[in-house]
Amino acid sequence: MNFIAKLFYNFRRSLKSIRMFLALAGPGIIVMVADNDAGGITTYTATGAQYGTHLLWFIILLGPVAYFVQEMTVRLGAVTKRGHAEAIFRAFGPFWGWFSLLDLVLTDWLTMITEFIGMTAALSIFHVPPVITVVLCCLIMGAMILSGRYWTWEKAALVFCVLNLIYIPAAFYIHPPVSDIIRHSFIPHLPPGGWTNALFFLIMANIGTTIAPWMLFFQQSSVVDKGLREKDIKFGKIDTAIGSFLTVVVAAVLIIVCGKLLYGQPVESAAEAAIKIMPTSKFTGTVIAIGLFDAGLLGAICISLASSWAFGEVFGWAHSLNQKIKEAPWFYAYYFFDIALAGTVVLIPHAPLVLITLFVQVIATTLLPAALVFLIILLNDKKTMGKHTNSLFENIANISIVAIIIVLSTLYGVSTPFPNLFQ
Amino acid sequence: MKSISNLFRKLVAQVGAINREYAVPQIEMTTFTKICLIGLRIYLFALIGLMIFKFISVVK
Repeated sequence: MNFIAKLFYNFRRSLKSIRMFLALAGPGIIVMVADNDAGGITTYTATGAQYGTHLLWFIILLGPVAYFVQEMTVRLGAVTKRGHAEAIFRAFGPFWGWFSLLDLVLTDWLTMITEFIGMTAALSIFHVPPVITVVLCCLIMGAMILSGRYWTWEKAALVFCVLNLIYIPAAFYIHPPVSDIIRHSFIPHLPPGGWTNALFFLIMANIGTTIAPWMLFFQQSSVVDKGLREKDIKFGKIDTAIGSFLTVVVAAVLIIVCGKLLYGQPVESAAEAAIKIMPTSKFTGTVIAIGLFDAGLLGAICISLASSWAFGEVFGWAHSLNQKIKEAPWFYAYYFFDIALAGTVVLIPHAPLVLITLFVQVIATTLLPAALVFLIILLNDKKTMGKHTNSLFENIANISIVAIIIVLSTLYGVSTPFPNLFQ
Repeated sequence: MKSISNLFRKLVAQVGAINREYAVPQIEMTTFTKICLIGLRIYLFALIGLMIFKFISVVK
């Protein structure tokens, strides 16, 4: 009897925990899936086309990397109840505060343009004119926040996250070589051709797409807006872990698909990959195009919010998705202004879109190291973080990861204006 | 025109207020923190220097 009672008690407790998790999950999954934005999808298609499945083991390693970095923002947000921008201002003063805020705004806006480039390219495959695509995207992004409830926005964003998993059936559809995939996933090795500059560049690009500055600002602000408390941190960590798992799955699936269907062919963008795949497999090509549109949309939604939250925090505007437009006019005005301006740039004839795409990486390189270093310092501030201060293990893991990311993303950023650097 | 100048003046005043509010960094300035901040400044100066060099070489 005692055994049954205990079993029932444990069952009820587990059920309660699952319910609690489902209520608190969201920011981690959304930020991680949105990490596979239009630029990310392009990088993965290029990786698959160039090296097949040989770099799968490396992509899998990026999952824990993303988790360790993003998990810090959960703790910081839940403990301080402040977004990353406000936390930097408070901790490091106006110089670093303004630098981070203005750099974030510029990086986000340029990244938004690349998302719009991806979305218009994806729908142009289905003969949708860019104007219609831009207007449609602005309407969707506007409709998502008009309810004045964080929950509604989050549910809509989660729907787009689920749509991002559309690549998974495509991978099964093409009957990939399972034994190769397993071998290449778990045995670290160099692809045929060995260590080359092209391989180094692609590795740097993959790391560059795994951690972006907006992700740190977005997740911390999102955790604060959702109202996560210190006792919810464990659920926030699980949420982030699931998100990092999903981001790796999507990346791996894309690499598998392009590795099977485009191996050895040069690919410049995900839209080009979709077009090249169409004659071989219409279903797979269509899926890649839809997935690219979804990735761009999800990225744009999160990136524009990251900037709006940051501005709201610093300027003291009302800045919650739980507030209606009347209650937080500047927050929403900035959100719409950011979207409309990025969308308009894409529609300008002969706009230097390729230059903008390259410029994003350079600008991101100036912000990412600062944002990551601030994160480490803040997580080591015992006075603020209390029992959630980084442990020795967390410091070793996080500082190593941050150091590697800074070195490689800097090399990647610098190699954009100096393409002959590694030749 | 007047409304734009008013808006600009308001913005400048707001920036001033933000600067005053966050004038004193709250983080404890340990040796680790100081080294990190100096390292970041050097990193940024080097990066900006590189970009300026690139810009000048492209213009030339």
